[in-house]
Amino acid sequence: MIIRLGGFIAASIVAATALTPLASIASDNRIALIPGGPHPYFAPWEQGAADAARDFGIAAVDFKVPSEWRLELQTELVESLAAQGYTGFGIFPGDAVGINSTVAELKANGLNSIALAGCAQDPTEMGFCFGTDVYQSAYLGTKALIEAMGGEGAIVHLAGLLVDPNTTLRTQAVQKAVDESDGKVTLLQTVADTDAQEAADQKINALLAAQKDQISGMIATAYIPSVVASTALRNLGDKRIKFVGIDDDPIVLDAIRDGIVAGTMAQNPYGQAYVGAYALDLLASGTCTVNADAAFVTTPQTAHFIDSGTLLISSANAGTYQDDLKALTSEIQAGFQAKYLTCN
Amino acid sequence: MTDSDSAPMRRTPVLDLLNKGSTQLGLFVIVLAFWIFFSSLAPGFLSRFNLNSLGRSLAIDIVIGFAQMVVLATGGMNLSVGAIGVCSVMLTGFLVQTLGLPIPLAIAGSLLGGAALGLLNGVAIVKTGVNSFIVTLASASLFSGGMLILTKAVPYNALPASIGEFGKSSVAGIPSLILVAAAIGAALLVLYRYTRLGREILAAGANARAAQMSGVPVGRAIIFSHALSGVLAAAAAVMLTARLGAAMPSVGGDDWLLPSFLAPVLGGTLLAGGMVSVIGTMLGAALVSTIRSGLLVLQVGNFWLQLFLGIILLAAVLLERYRAGLALKRQARRA
Repeated sequence: MIIRLGGFIAASIVAATALTPLASIASDNRIALIPGGPHPYFAPWEQGAADAARDFGIAAVDFKVPSEWRLELQTELVESLAAQGYTGFGIFPGDAVGINSTVAELKANGLNSIALAGCAQDPTEMGFCFGTDVYQSAYLGTKALIEAMGGEGAIVHLAGLLVDPNTTLRTQAVQKAVDESDGKVTLLQTVADTDAQEAADQKINALLAAQKDQISGMIATAYIPSVVASTALRNLGDKRIKFVGIDDDPIVLDAIRDGIVAGTMAQNPYGQAYVGAYALDLLASGTCTVNADAAFVTTPQTAHFIDSGTLLISSANAGTYQDDLKALTSEIQAGFQAKYLTCN
Repeated sequence: MTDSDSAPMRRTPVLDLLNKGSTQLGLFVIVLAFWIFFSSLAPGFLSRFNLNSLGRSLAIDIVIGFAQMVVLATGGMNLSVGAIGVCSVMLTGFLVQTLGLPIPLAIAGSLLGGAALGLLNGVAIVKTGVNSFIVTLASASLFSGGMLILTKAVPYNALPASIGEFGKSSVAGIPSLILVAAAIGAALLVLYRYTRLGREILAAGANARAAQMSGVPVGRAIIFSHALSGVLAAAAAVMLTARLGAAMPSVGGDDWLLPSFLAPVLGGTLLAGGMVSVIGTMLGAALVSTIRSGLLVLQVGNFWLQLFLGIILLAAVLLERYRAGLALKRQARRA
């Protein structure tokens, strides 16, 4: 019975594949973009992948999501895709160090990988890391929050998953912005591991219920707490607590338009997928290699970082920020080969 | 009773396939059929890259299966296999990265840690008389919670490269981790087949009251089995750390629960206790790993994997019930 069911599923897949018309292609590379697990942040990767395949004539750019946010599931998925003939991998590391053994194995088999949205820890065989400068983004977001608060008060940092390599950097950046206020601003609390719906609901609502009178502002450096905090502040009906979030979920944008939220730091996941797939195609074609002497940014994790762009969305640009990000993506892509690659 | 025993009886071929002695052969045929099925649909399934990956996953699944099997032998169960696993992963990381111990010493420390947690389970079960299901359900949360408090959920990701290198290494084309799993399997085979302690464990599992009256120290057998389960869970944890090259709190846990039961139950180990199958457990793990790898290579989502594993476990349990019924009928006929 099991074999028959498996056979039916497999046969359906084969049939579906056979019936899919192939677009005209300039490259026979198959590129996989693999997040650390299911998360709304990565949703624009799918469109970025599809657009890159179309615009650059790549045989396939596929968005593959591990079923859970666990490194071993991610590595199993990567290895199975390598076995299927994928030649380039854009990976958000499930763990900054844990991913490196798999990436080294890919490299040993002639397959290229780059880190997208989050970096692997050096030494690594990742070609480079292309993502948000999370330290800078969190720093600018906290500065914007302090400005919205009138330069003084107590703030709370709603941080993401502890297993996310970016969380530590963001925490340090928030602390730096607070330290620069000469004691006028204090960090009341850092609430970590809020980048999951249930945890965010419980922790943020409990925080506001218990301490809202002591809180002047909140900075969220992860997607889900941004959404949950925006909703919680709307329900509270209290515009005294200033809030700066991250990413551009419609709930956060609506709250910005209604004056409930001061702003949110936009990232560029679409651009990460689009430019990442473009670069992987060039690397996998064998005609280009990463230029070791390129003007990479050095971060605590890697000496090969490239910023995919960030900007503050406020009530002033809530309607036009996407055009700004698309222009930024085009600009990065247009100069990428000359700036970061060495091609024959 | 171990998988070496078989009573010569006249049966139809169908019944023969359902008797214990043929369980491993049946499993082997099913695994082989899946290999043919997957490799014909997805040539990448037999690529060197995929076989290496499959081999390393299989090795860990086998040892996870052993960790449950040794407790099933006593008629109990250990729901804290995954919790002990993740504690051992983090203990390995702590001993190597924070204390800077040499790797062999750190591995020994991790195995001892696993044994201690298993021992706690065994002592609690024997001393309180509470069912192992309840005790290990509680201890799973206790161990995981304690680990999170002590480590603050921060991964140890600055381990020496040699740990990861061993996880990736091969001997004559066979992943080193598979050889480790095979060595553990051989040791367990010797334990249950050739030692007094092994026979006492199986006797205690088959009928605790009868064993007790025959002078078998049932309590000691249960405590030893749980301590051994802890050691094996820790061994799987060390292997996983070697595979990943890092120790992190997001591994093990509940993810090990289903595979830990699947491998031994598919292989013919009785849930009621008294009979284990080391070879069967290895084949059961091979079936699970094959299906997982095959579905991934066929690009069938991981979400389907959970469904398939659940169906397979249910089928295996029903088959076991059927076999147990047949065995009872045969005993009645003999009497």
